[in-house]
This record gives sequence, C-alpha cells and structure tokens, in this order.
Amino acid sequence: MKLLTCPMNGLRNIDEFQSFGPVRARPDPDATADTEWSRHLFRAENRKGIVTEWWRHVPSNYFFLAERDLVSNEIICTFDASELRDRA
Amino acid sequence: MAASTAMRIYPFMPGGAAGSTKLISDAVVLSDLTGRPRFGLKGGGSAAWLAAQGVTLPAVNRIGDHRGMRVLRLGNEDILLLAEDAGETLAEVKAAWQAATAPKGYSSWREEGWAWMRLSGPGLAEAMSALCALDLRPQKFGADDIAQTRVGHIEAVTFRSPAGFDILFDVTASAYFARAVAAVAGHTGKHRG
Repeated sequence: MKLLTCPMNGLRNIDEFQSFGPVRARPDPDATADTEWSRHLFRAENRKGIVTEWWRHVPSNYFFLAERDLVSNEIICTFDASELRDRA
Repeated sequence: MAASTAMRIYPFMPGGAAGSTKLISDAVVLSDLTGRPRFGLKGGGSAAWLAAQGVTLPAVNRIGDHRGMRVLRLGNEDILLLAEDAGETLAEVKAAWQAATAPKGYSSWREEGWAWMRLSGPGLAEAMSALCALDLRPQKFGADDIAQTRVGHIEAVTFRSPAGFDILFDVTASAYFARAVAAVAGHTGKHRG
C-alpha cells in the first residue's frame, strides 16, 4: 500500500487522495498567442526531475502541494499551499 | 421550498430512500442520528463569525464544546456544530447567523447533506478496525480527535462519542453504509483460531 502524508490529516493510504497535476504559471491573456495557449492547454511536459503538484485529500476536501521525483515516483515532501506563496 | 417546520423524511424513516434497510443491532449496533440538530458553516468568515458569538474554536481536526454542543473543526473555515441534546442553543446560533450580515461564511447544509450515524456495542472495536484503516485505539485517537478518512469504503468524518464512534458521511450513501456495517459485523468474531 502506498502512503502519502497529508499536511492537515497526517499519513494516509494514497487511495484517499486525488492528483491535480503540476503547479503551472497562468499565461497572460493579453500577451499570449494562440500557439502558446494551445501548448498550455493541451500539451503536458514529460521531463525528468522534481515536480511540484497539486493534490487533494478527498474526505476533507483539502488541497495541498507535493514535490515528487518524476523518475522514482517518490514523494519528497508535502506542504500547505500558503508555504509556496511565502516562498515567492 | 417546504416550510422549515415541515417534517423532514430522513433515509431510514418509513418512506425514506433507505426505509427498507434494517440497521444492525447485535454485537455491533448501528443507530441513526441523522434527524438530530446540527449546523455547518464553511468559507471565509465562518471562524471569525463563530468566534464573535463566543464559540471557542478548537484546532483543525479537534472537537470543542460550546454550551452543550460539540464543535467540530473540519478545516480552518469549515466548522460543524452538533447538538444532540442542545437543540435550543443550536437554534439560537442558527437564528443569529441568519440575521447577521456578511462576512459570516455560508451554510454547508450538513443537516441535509450528511448522514449522522453511531456505531456501538461489544463488537465495536473489531468492526471499526475492519471498516476503517486508521489506528483508532484510545491511546492513538482521543475523545477530542477527528479523523477525516474512509469508513466502510466511503469518505467520512469519524470521532468518538461516549457510546462508541460517530460517523458523518454523504446522506445518499445511507443504505450502502448500513449494509457495509452489517456485512462487517457478520464476520466479526468468526476468524479467531
């Protein structure tokens, strides 16, 4: 069984979570060409490395962030979204 | 919309969606508290509004007490008041909230959206260990702890009550939950060597 640590609820079966994909910058609607919009909407990155992703703990409807190694699939850490804002 | 004084039909009542489903009452006892008063607030301003009413809010995933009501903090801005025996106090809070001006959060409509059931009986611990993957032993899970997790394969909120465990979940899963508990209870005590 895979486990994931929810920053609010603690260690849980990964079955209790839903992935919402990587954190991405939103394109500026006034300065983005159609091709860039198309890439943003329909193409997914497929690189190696560490990704920061949105996850949701379903029973509590709590959204948080996780850093995951895209090669080993290891979840490095999980944290509340406010921490990303504080880092910026 | 029906007047608030109209009798609500809850799932296990005659004529309810789960009216033909029996609640187990053996070594494991499942009782339905869905008709008991409760009130949930959610969204920005909920915590501040309740605090302004004198409600002492516990930490997230903890239970507090306010004039006989249990105060469940399900999130920073997601709070549920359970008034099993304090219906009048709850009605006061609800009336004050309805009369208040924003910001005051919004009603999360837990009195209709969620079922409220209680698991008890001598077979409780064994049944609960089969229904929920978390370690809910008293030394790990205290009287004021809340677990937001899965119970009987459905998303649920569970916590201790003097009689056993209370479980809150989507009211539309009422019949399913009753059957899941009955199935687990049917197996308890049968696999010991």
